[in-house]
Amino acid sequence: MAGETRPARRPQRWFEFRRPIPAAWVWILGGAAWVVFFGLWEWANASGAANDLLLPPPHLVIAKLAELLSGQEFLRDILDSILRILGSFVGACVIALPLGVLMGSFPTVEAFFNPFVSAWRYLPATSFIPVLLMWFGTGEEPKLALLFIGVVFFLITLTMDHTQQVRGELIDTAMTLGANRGQILWTVIVPAAMPNIVVAMRQMLAVSWTYLVIAEIVAQTTGIGAMMWRARRFLHTDEIMAGIILIGFLGVLFDSLFRLVHRLLFPYLHERR
Amino acid sequence: MTSAVKLSLRDVLKVFPLRRGGSVQAIRDVSFDVLANEVCVILGPSGCGKSTVLRMVAGLEDPTGGIIALDGQAIRAPGRDRGMVFQAYTSFDWLTVQRNVEYGMRLNGVPATERRERAARFIELVHLTKFKDAYPNQLSGGMKQRVAIARTLANEPAILLMDEPFGALDAETRWHMQELMMSIVEQARTTVLMVTHDIEEAIFVADRIIFMSRHPGTVAANIVPDFKGGRRWNRKEEVMALPGYNELERQIMQLMRAQAGEEALEQA
Repeated sequence: MAGETRPARRPQRWFEFRRPIPAAWVWILGGAAWVVFFGLWEWANASGAANDLLLPPPHLVIAKLAELLSGQEFLRDILDSILRILGSFVGACVIALPLGVLMGSFPTVEAFFNPFVSAWRYLPATSFIPVLLMWFGTGEEPKLALLFIGVVFFLITLTMDHTQQVRGELIDTAMTLGANRGQILWTVIVPAAMPNIVVAMRQMLAVSWTYLVIAEIVAQTTGIGAMMWRARRFLHTDEIMAGIILIGFLGVLFDSLFRLVHRLLFPYLHERR
Repeated sequence: MTSAVKLSLRDVLKVFPLRRGGSVQAIRDVSFDVLANEVCVILGPSGCGKSTVLRMVAGLEDPTGGIIALDGQAIRAPGRDRGMVFQAYTSFDWLTVQRNVEYGMRLNGVPATERRERAARFIELVHLTKFKDAYPNQLSGGMKQRVAIARTLANEPAILLMDEPFGALDAETRWHMQELMMSIVEQARTTVLMVTHDIEEAIFVADRIIFMSRHPGTVAANIVPDFKGGRRWNRKEEVMALPGYNELERQIMQLMRAQAGEEALEQA
């Protein structure tokens, strides 16, 4: 055929199955959802549809949050909450990771622990609150215990599952290279399963935040949850909303930190050919 | 070529228990020798138990009966003297090519300087020097298998075991890998026991072909491809052009058909 023919450009459409979109659009669309959300909220107050006392408008909530953050007391609450999360989570990991790896590696260990761990997993952690309060009072212990119970059994099971997914050929290969059991565990199974285990840890940390607020409301002393519960008594809805927003922000922050750690620990999974 | 026996199998039997009780003889009366520096290929239809034989030589499975001996010593467990390359990719994704190849030597306490030098030599042998600092995720399938071969050979096994090592590769890569394997085996002077179901591959690389039948899985023929004139060839098409190539290929195909015929028809 004579002359140059250009392929006809496909029309750009908004909805295409699984076609990647430009990075800028990911940010714009992701931000737009928030703009719409706060816009509707602001509008609800402005139009009188929402009662300012029960649902203060977002600009007042943000202002309240800024005010709280400038005071010592609230920062103390935040620090308490974060320390509880970290303390109980580290404790859960110290138990769950070695146990899960051993259960995923050796069927005898799995057969011994799995029925026990599975049963605990189906007991709601919150059902232990009454006894935890009786045993430990309202100090740090019942809060840490609730967070620990809420996370540890799921983390054991997830760790076991990810360990079992390590391919048998990798273990066979190490054996024919002369590895003993300890070496196989430390130089094959652990490094092979670790990326998925870290993802499981990230997911369970999000669950920790749920239990944290419950624990702080029930045994009201300090922490973000306790602050929100105190505010309820005085109808300080703006402080409650500020607390919710802060918890959401901290959750996202911890999640991002975990993603960063994942990238630093496992660079080979993030490099492209 | 020396004629010392490296690996010997005598009356090897493997019985698998069935879940509903009873048992099935997967392999029986398997006897053959692999000579030192020989490339021996176990060839046969799928389901003949050839991979099971290889796994028993590796020590990854126990024979129910019979004796498998390497250099006169009965095999009891997996060991570094029988390094194995698998069909599935087995590179350790968290280690660079260099560290993958060093892995076995590290386990066995080879000093760091020697480890690095030996790894570099075998990486060169499989033409991956440019990629020594890359992670396996960045490599193609053929390159991953080359890493596996280098890693196994750098560990200096007495015999190299290969279970359909090129089975997952595309036709062109497979052919390059077979030629590369011939040059590596020549330079490293290794004894090789390899499993395949690819007739061309078997004839090209083998000094000896053990043809296995199924039901029961046993040695049906022990073939030395004399037409190659007792030497190895570096190019596949040269072997294919030799008189006698077609004759042997035809013979093996007939053996295969005698095995596969009935079931292939049943499935068609």
